[in-house]
Amino acid sequence: MADVTFDELSAGELPAEAHPTATGISNEKLSMWVFLASDCLLFGGMISTYLVYKNRPGEIEGLAGSDLKVSELFDIPFTSMTSFILLMSSLTMVLSVNAIVRKDVARMRLWLVATSILGGLFLGGQVYEFTEFVNHGLGFTTNVASSAFFGLTGLHGVHVAAGVIMLLVTTGLSFRRRIHPEAVEVVGLYWHFVDIVWVLIFTVVYLIP
Amino acid sequence: MSTPTADLAGHTTEAEHEAHHGPTDGQFFTIFWVLVVLTALEVSTEWWDEWFGESSRKIAVPLLIFLMVVKFFLVALYFMHLKFDQPMLRRIFWFGAIVAMAVYGGTLTSMNFWEDSGTTRFNDPPPALDRPAEGGSDAAVEPGAGSGQTTADGGS
Repeated sequence: MADVTFDELSAGELPAEAHPTATGISNEKLSMWVFLASDCLLFGGMISTYLVYKNRPGEIEGLAGSDLKVSELFDIPFTSMTSFILLMSSLTMVLSVNAIVRKDVARMRLWLVATSILGGLFLGGQVYEFTEFVNHGLGFTTNVASSAFFGLTGLHGVHVAAGVIMLLVTTGLSFRRRIHPEAVEVVGLYWHFVDIVWVLIFTVVYLIP
Repeated sequence: MSTPTADLAGHTTEAEHEAHHGPTDGQFFTIFWVLVVLTALEVSTEWWDEWFGESSRKIAVPLLIFLMVVKFFLVALYFMHLKFDQPMLRRIFWFGAIVAMAVYGGTLTSMNFWEDSGTTRFNDPPPALDRPAEGGSDAAVEPGAGSGQTTADGGS
């Protein structure tokens, strides 16, 4: 889908495929980007909160709790595997967008389903990780650090779950009506953003001591 | 309000197909494998202490931040098509990202995060005020006493 410049718009020289909006960008795509930009602030706040509290479990007066640190329970090889799965899902997502641009609907469905499965696997991994933490005595209310950790990674998990639903709905709709390539692209933008946020979380929360 | 061209029921035209500019499937695979290698390098730093000694930690942290930024840009520019899309979309996204970094960078700085030594210095409640309490005694007054405040927020 070609976008149109402001000069072209002013001069009335619109390409046939341009969006009939003031910006030349479809409202759906523009609103998704604005949402993603605002989501940066949300995740920024959650990451900062974790960074502030991560070394202070059980030490803050008035907030009694266990002094067990989240980082003591990290299973880096396992989390690396789930990170790899999410990274792979970004690849299948772009392959899906490329497929629908080529009007290859069957392959688009295949890649969308593959992306959903990979997203589901990531979520399964997160549920397993959370269960292990709880089994080791670290729950959401154990201390401020654990609350910040579960809040951050849980919020990311909710985003992934929403993305999986969007992928499955898009796949389902493709059986009932023709799907516009930009609809898949917009879902893909959301999915890649979820991946980008995990790139930050994986490094800042899991790998940097 | 929905734009006609973005309707799910819309159909692709040849012009749209030709206008789609971006990496090919093969190029996406290349970017993916670059991301995999960078991630593997990131994960390997977890064992650098054992392999290269404690001093490697000084290199590992800056390297991790660098690799994280590179991965962020690779996904944003290529997978999210920011490199090929209209400049306005780039500006919108970078504006959000930069504002987030500035706001939370400032917040962390104000909380002495960068000087963090694992102590409770910035989350400690304020020290007791040294002023006469009601009844004429010189006992120190706990901050927030009688005001209904709690120290649940660390007294900040």
